[in-house]
Amino acid sequence: MNKTIVIVGGGPAGLEAAAALGSSPHHVLILEKEHETGGKLKNWHHLFPNFADAFEILKSLEKTLPLNNPEVKYDSNVCKIEQMDGKLLVLLNKGEKINADAVLLATGFDLFDAHKKEEYGYGIYKNVVTSFELEEMFKIGSFPDHLKDGMPKKIAMVHCVGSRDKKAGNLHCSKLCCITGVKQAIELRKHLPNSSVYNFYMDLRMYGQHFEELYQEAQEDYGITFIRGRVSEIAENSEGSLQVKAEDTLSGRPMKMVFDMVVLLLGMTPASSTTPISVSLGLPRTNAGFLSPLHQHIAANETCIPGLFLAGTCREPLSLQESITDARAAAFKIIEWLKLKDNN
Amino acid sequence: MEQAGKKRIWGEYQKDIAEDHYFYVRSCIRQTFFPGSETTFLRILRDELFKDVFEDARHTTCTGIGYHTDIVPFETTMTIAARHFALMTEAGYVNFVPSCVTSFGIYTEILDTWKHFPEMEAKARDFLWTATRREFKVPENLSHTSDIIYKFRNQLAASSKHHLIDKNDGKPLKVVEHIGCHYAKMFPKCGIGGAEFPAVLSGMVEAWGGEVIDYPERRHCCGFGFRQYLIRANRGYSMSNSKKKFESMQPYQPDFIVANCPGCAMFLDRWQYTIAEMEGTTYNESGKGIPVLTYEEMAGLVLGYDPWVMGMQMHQISVEPLLDKIGIIYDKKDKYLGSKGQYIGVPQQPLFLLQ
Amino acid sequence: MGRLHERLCEDLRCLEGLNSCMNCGVCTAICPSAEFYHYDPRIICDTVQSTDDELIEQLLKSDTIWYCGECMSCKTRCPRGNTPGLLIMALRKLSQELGYFTDSEKGRQQFAIRRVIGDSILTTGYCMRPMLVNPQNHPEQGPVWEWVYNNLTEVMDKVGANYMKDGPGVLRQIAPAVLAEINEIFKVTGGQDFFQCIEKFSLDKANEMGLIAGERGSDNAYFSEVYTKNSGNHH
Repeated sequence: MNKTIVIVGGGPAGLEAAAALGSSPHHVLILEKEHETGGKLKNWHHLFPNFADAFEILKSLEKTLPLNNPEVKYDSNVCKIEQMDGKLLVLLNKGEKINADAVLLATGFDLFDAHKKEEYGYGIYKNVVTSFELEEMFKIGSFPDHLKDGMPKKIAMVHCVGSRDKKAGNLHCSKLCCITGVKQAIELRKHLPNSSVYNFYMDLRMYGQHFEELYQEAQEDYGITFIRGRVSEIAENSEGSLQVKAEDTLSGRPMKMVFDMVVLLLGMTPASSTTPISVSLGLPRTNAGFLSPLHQHIAANETCIPGLFLAGTCREPLSLQESITDARAAAFKIIEWLKLKDNN
Repeated sequence: MEQAGKKRIWGEYQKDIAEDHYFYVRSCIRQTFFPGSETTFLRILRDELFKDVFEDARHTTCTGIGYHTDIVPFETTMTIAARHFALMTEAGYVNFVPSCVTSFGIYTEILDTWKHFPEMEAKARDFLWTATRREFKVPENLSHTSDIIYKFRNQLAASSKHHLIDKNDGKPLKVVEHIGCHYAKMFPKCGIGGAEFPAVLSGMVEAWGGEVIDYPERRHCCGFGFRQYLIRANRGYSMSNSKKKFESMQPYQPDFIVANCPGCAMFLDRWQYTIAEMEGTTYNESGKGIPVLTYEEMAGLVLGYDPWVMGMQMHQISVEPLLDKIGIIYDKKDKYLGSKGQYIGVPQQPLFLLQ
Repeated sequence: MGRLHERLCEDLRCLEGLNSCMNCGVCTAICPSAEFYHYDPRIICDTVQSTDDELIEQLLKSDTIWYCGECMSCKTRCPRGNTPGLLIMALRKLSQELGYFTDSEKGRQQFAIRRVIGDSILTTGYCMRPMLVNPQNHPEQGPVWEWVYNNLTEVMDKVGANYMKDGPGVLRQIAPAVLAEINEIFKVTGGQDFFQCIEKFSLDKANEMGLIAGERGSDNAYFSEVYTKNSGNHH
């Protein structure tokens, strides 16, 4: 019997889950809040650890869309989901209601709002940029023209911005920023061979395949300097360069360095667009504020609400690769659950 | 520097400042080095703003310096604070306003500690009763005196006689604002604008026509360091920290420095003298140093008060260049005279610092 | 966990000041002391966190804990909500309670502070007042301050002070009845005991060093020694 599966979110997890559900007889509908699918992947240039082309990957994830498979509704923000007669009623901000047999939340993440880290001066000092903005600079192939000679010569990468930080409101580690910092440092050196790049970190979380090797390459092949000390403060000099204060904890000395540009490696926070959904359903959250699965180990894609499933970064920081795999796992679980429901 | 970013932060750190009926407690350092500033504050509040400010002559030091030099235990300091709350309660007030920034820090720390450890508040009540037979209520509002001036800055601007503008070119004066560490570093929510971009002095400066300078060491401590200054063997620490700030602000050519902490104002004034005499270095082109004002003096100048009645002759760095820039008319000859116009000698001239 | 560490944990400031340190270094990065002294607030937290009594005892007897200026800039930045400055206050208290402070050049200075600031609080009700800032001991205050100091009454009069008189006003005379209350508070809260503790250990040290400390005041050899001695080995 054909069921209706609603996927909230047309980012990588949503798209891949839809593809995995495509071979089932069910009707799959993606609700995407923006006017195009792709989520954050749209804004990325190259992906760690092998500098894969983000655009190519996005195109591959979206390849069946032109055949209207799955169906996608754009500019569709979900403002409420209610349990009703064994189904889930999905309410859109435009007033439309959709009766779903199963709902997959693939709402993704927000990047930490760098303004909140006041001592870094984001939004106040123009040469303080975010990792997100840097990725855009790589995409268009140029740097802000207010920089002297149109390019930075000395750049600092600041790890852990909005993560592992009680003051910023996020105790959790966002997992991916370290490898992003290494990747972007290498890309800066590739774009600007005369530049020098310094990464300020507390720990280097090189957890994935080829991550540790990339770190070594960054040091040996690209001459990137890694300083073990969290950045305490960024201030602006009279000509717009930035004064960064940190402690080199390995030598136990406070230090002050001047840079042309500072890149803040932003942490991941739960997507704020999910809040109305979790509130209306009474869906619990983890301590870090991400959506809580039924069981962290053996039921990571299910929730305590029958018919409601989770995939991707809405439930915890995941890399693109992990989101894709997670989406497939969620799809399997949905099909299994629908079969079970049918048999009963 | 983008102003919008700063305004956003200020918007998030708004603080409730009482409207009227203030129980006022004085500052040991401000009374010692800037006695005219305390008088000026009361004059502004009573004569310009028609506020009710009450001072109980039986109040004493808060022991802040003793606490931060680690000779006075926390239990003692908190009981002295409790005694002040008792005097406030007895006089029928609920809004507590200290003149000293270290005091302000002490009171906020004590109130915060009592919130987390109610048994400490109980102990304070017990100690106070045993020692003095006094009882107290916790203040409903705790604001620093500079918060009050900040709150009414626009009203004061409306009745101002002068602006923080260079009369020679009509441009806003460039002002370095220095916030005492104990104002907001411990509890950013207790300071207007938080700890990174505090607004209390910037707000005044901008309301009165000046322009605030952001320089790299803006947030850095002036270097008082309590024991680091009080003991002669340690004074190098104190001077080094001020010197760091001077070197950082110099490229921006500030017209003056303003501070809300009396200790900071004193140090930023005196260390310029000491550095000049030791090294021959001054931090502005004239060789006279950058004038350092308390916020009360800044407010008083804007309102047209006599600089020598406010006590600005007690500064080592001459303030006349600033007064001339603003276009304030003052009696040069009256600077070092007594209140009846009597001659009481004049200070000796430094060797290097021009006066 | 040793007995010193346990004792430290009884101090509220240690409980408030140290949750757990991940050695990120933001405190040391902006610490005014760390820049000029051989001092690292991060290492202080790490040392206390280790609960190693031997290391803590070393700390309590060293110059190290006396370098902090208690500006609390560290509290503003710490991502774990720690305050090395508060921890320092707890360490300084314990160092004085145990008499360890007299082992270090900087620690011995507590005697001078106790004599000047401590006695000023109890006898006048002020921590700081003009007569304490003698230009002889404070050449850095400059010639204008010297003129103020030499003409205090007149200058105070000009600026509207109520110098050493009754009633409210700047630098008023604090009434004996009020001073009696302050002294009583010091007695009841352990402040007086703490003063005596600092005195006792300091006098013992003065004896050991063959210097006279007297019963009160700053006019003695031990005071001069601790007030001015600087080995120059602090950087």
